[in-house]
Amino acid sequence: MSFFGFEQNDRLQQEKQRFREGKLEQEDLAVYTWGEDSYDGLGDALQEGGDELNDETFGGTEQVGKDFDFTQQTLLIDDQLEPLLVSSDNTFKQPFAQSDLSRDTANAHGTQASSSSRPGQSLWDEKSPFSVLPRSGGTSRSPADHVRNGSVSSSNLAQSHSPSASAAPQTTSQTGVRTLQDIEAEMKAVAIAQRMQNAAVTQRQQLMQEQQHAQQPHHYQQQRSAPPRMHPQAQSPRFHQQLQQQQLIQQQQLREQQLHEQLQLQFRQQQMLEQERERMLQEAQLQEQIRERQLQELQLQEQLRLDQMERQLRSQRPDIRQHQIIQNHQHLHQRPSSDLPLPGTIPPQQLVQRRQQSPAFIDPHLQPQYQQKGQYMPQNIQLQQRLLSEMAQAEFMRDMQAVSQAEQDALQAEAMRRIMETERMEEKRRRKAAKIAHMSRYNDLMTQSDKDFITRIQVSQLVTQDPYADDFYAQVYSAIVRSRLGLQPSDERVLKFGAFGGVGLGMGQKGAGRRPSAMQKMEQQVERIVHNARQREQEKPVNHNNLQGALGKTSGRSYKAAPRQLLQVDSSNSSSHAHISKEDAIRKHGEGAAKEAAKIGAEALGVTADPDDTARRDPLSTKEALTILEYLYDLVLDIEQIRREQSGLDAEGTEAAETWNKRYSELVQQLWDDLRVMVPLETSNPHPFISLIAPSKGKKLLPRISRHLSSQQMLTVLTLLVACFSQMDIVVHASILDVPEESTQQQDLERQTQAFLGSVVQSILPVIAKAGLRLVSGLLGLLLERSDIVSVTQTRPGLAILTLFLSRVELIKQSMSTATELSELPTQDETEQCALTPQLALPFPFGTHCRRAGCRPPNTVAPTLHTETLDQPVWQFLAALALHATNEQQQALVTALREKVLENVASANKGWVADEDERRAKLGNVNLFLHALGLDSSQISI
Amino acid sequence: MDTSAGIQEPFDLIRLSLSERVFVKLRGDRELTGILHAYDGHMNLILSEVEETIMLVDGADSGPSGQGIVNVTKRKMEMLFVRGDGVILVSPPSRT
Repeated sequence: MSFFGFEQNDRLQQEKQRFREGKLEQEDLAVYTWGEDSYDGLGDALQEGGDELNDETFGGTEQVGKDFDFTQQTLLIDDQLEPLLVSSDNTFKQPFAQSDLSRDTANAHGTQASSSSRPGQSLWDEKSPFSVLPRSGGTSRSPADHVRNGSVSSSNLAQSHSPSASAAPQTTSQTGVRTLQDIEAEMKAVAIAQRMQNAAVTQRQQLMQEQQHAQQPHHYQQQRSAPPRMHPQAQSPRFHQQLQQQQLIQQQQLREQQLHEQLQLQFRQQQMLEQERERMLQEAQLQEQIRERQLQELQLQEQLRLDQMERQLRSQRPDIRQHQIIQNHQHLHQRPSSDLPLPGTIPPQQLVQRRQQSPAFIDPHLQPQYQQKGQYMPQNIQLQQRLLSEMAQAEFMRDMQAVSQAEQDALQAEAMRRIMETERMEEKRRRKAAKIAHMSRYNDLMTQSDKDFITRIQVSQLVTQDPYADDFYAQVYSAIVRSRLGLQPSDERVLKFGAFGGVGLGMGQKGAGRRPSAMQKMEQQVERIVHNARQREQEKPVNHNNLQGALGKTSGRSYKAAPRQLLQVDSSNSSSHAHISKEDAIRKHGEGAAKEAAKIGAEALGVTADPDDTARRDPLSTKEALTILEYLYDLVLDIEQIRREQSGLDAEGTEAAETWNKRYSELVQQLWDDLRVMVPLETSNPHPFISLIAPSKGKKLLPRISRHLSSQQMLTVLTLLVACFSQMDIVVHASILDVPEESTQQQDLERQTQAFLGSVVQSILPVIAKAGLRLVSGLLGLLLERSDIVSVTQTRPGLAILTLFLSRVELIKQSMSTATELSELPTQDETEQCALTPQLALPFPFGTHCRRAGCRPPNTVAPTLHTETLDQPVWQFLAALALHATNEQQQALVTALREKVLENVASANKGWVADEDERRAKLGNVNLFLHALGLDSSQISI
Repeated sequence: MDTSAGIQEPFDLIRLSLSERVFVKLRGDRELTGILHAYDGHMNLILSEVEETIMLVDGADSGPSGQGIVNVTKRKMEMLFVRGDGVILVSPPSRT
């Protein structure tokens, strides 16, 4: 700065002086020109040692390393300073130039003419290229250029760098205050410190400098006065070439200076003649050199200008984004003459082109333009870039607003919808994941083996010795349900394994959903477990597990232990009649016991059946009958169990089937024997069989037995039943039912009667249905022979039996008349008997039936629905009888029943009935009889 | 006749009365008649068509003679489960 300021100092002083004295510039000249007598030798005084190192201290002619890093700040400062220099040049140049001129004139006027002034000028000119620059620029450029340049720089300064700009003059003024010596000393100290480091690098220069310095240190120093920072070329490695060029120039200048200094030296030595001659010679040379130099200067100027522009450009580039559009507009307004098209007038192609490129990329494209347009370019580029940014913004805005509002709305709505949808999906997914996570908290806490273990425990509780018996009711119920659903009744609902037990699977699954599959899974699992258990059992002998159970068995059935039994009766003398709680223990010996009991029964039968001993025995007591019945029930259950087992045995070997058959027939024989059907009729009254069927459970036993007995056996049962019909309780005590007041006895009898009709008659019905005419007439004869027919017909069971027989005869007669030719029809012998049947039936029932129907005062007196229903079998019997009756018999029937029929019809027609059902029942009953006669109740008019 | 062979324990007698009308005496001066359907080792019973007879003695200690008036209440039930701990006796109904 001090070196830079040296020149400025002059100027400042000059200015000060001028300001102080108010003189013209001409007076100043005398002070500052060296070539005159008035020269105060200030330059010599300034001469100091060690200046030769200035070069290496402040950057010399050597190439600048690439490691120079100039920050943006210094660049800016340079930018500030450069225009400052320029502007100061502009302001001070003209006086200077004038002073030059005046100095020239003074020189001309003085001892030496233009010859002396010329070197002076050249001396000024031939300072460092930098210091020369402004002046040379000033000389080369037109004043207008200068003004513009200045204004540009000042505007730039005003825009962004005002603080630095204000700082710059301050430094200059400071330098003005400090003496040159001080500054020189400072610089020297720094230079000495740095010299040691840079000595080797700058040796060549040193040598050169020393050569020159020996004679002309003053000029050399002046030449080197520009500090390295002020070399714009040195600021970037990009300008190496420029630097080299500059160095060339400098060398030339050095040469010039050498010459010039020689000249000066001669001048100082006052050797005028020689000097003049030499000077003439030198001047000629100089002229030549100056021309050459000016040419180079022009080049340099151009380069400098470019450099300046580029720097400006670079400094502006970051600002582009920051610049406001308003500023841009201001710029536009400030420079309407700019050859750049206004934003509105930019052609579309250009627009597109620019739009495609970011502002940063614009530079290279604009490079040619920028070079062509020269000095205007920095501003233009700046402007362009601003415009571009503006336009990009505008473009963006236009793009945004290009689509219509509706479209935009639609797009927005669509976007919103999508966002919402995505959010919803996300929410759903999260909730699902949370749920799964919640549910799977305890996943895999149990291993598969754990689960299997627990399942095994659970299943082991279900395994029983006899799955049917232990799960009896569920089995039966499920069988009923399944048959009702139309499924295969033979479906095994028991999972049996081995010979020792099984698992009852209970009901068949109903309903859809997950349960059936779960049940199926369970079944599969059970099967698997059972299979595994079986396999293990098979492997056992191999595993030499002979000691198992040696220490006793643990009771695996603790679940059956509670609650404790109150009565513990030892059943050492075991039999089939055991208490339920002892059943398990008894079952082992059940077979033997049953056999024993059967033997006992057989013995008993054998004794009673002994023809030699036809002595009458006491009838079975109730207790005996009940005991026998219990035994019979046991037998029946056994037989039924065996029947169930048969289904599994069918497919197996004949041996097993034979064994089964043997056992089955044995059991059936036992059953038959214990029924005491074959006991002679005269053994007791009532007959043991009749005693057995006296209790309701005895009656209910018959249907269960009938399926196991052969038809012949059943026929025997029927015959016995008919033969001993009047011995039955329900026939003997039938009159109780006609007693109007209710009693426990009546209820019991009613129950028994119902049981007889429901069970016994139902079980013998198939036998009668298949019976031939001969058998029916034989049975009828038996009934008439052994029973009091009147009392029998006055009972409901008796009526039912008689009706059965008569309807069967009627059916036989019908089949005979309709299909006489068929082979399966009754034989001739049978038809003869058939003809006899009505005659057999004719004499006896006639009057009694009429009496029966007519003399039931309790029922007719209280004409309730109940009695009408009860009367129905009577009317049915009468109808059946009427069918077989001859004309005389029919007439007799009608005469006997006339009153009754008329009463029923009258009460039905005249509304003497409680409700419609009763009326219908009455009429139905009457019609039942009348239809048999070929009449109808509607024919009767009262 | 050796029909007693099938009877080894008291419960076998009760077994004979299955599906027959039985008379059951209970604690608390109650009597039942009904058809026995099932029983177990605790004498729990299942009866149907039950008639229960409850005897209430009113003012047993109020009278000087020490004889209260016995009120007999009867009720009928379709089906009844009798807990075994209240059963005193089970017998077939007396035949007239």
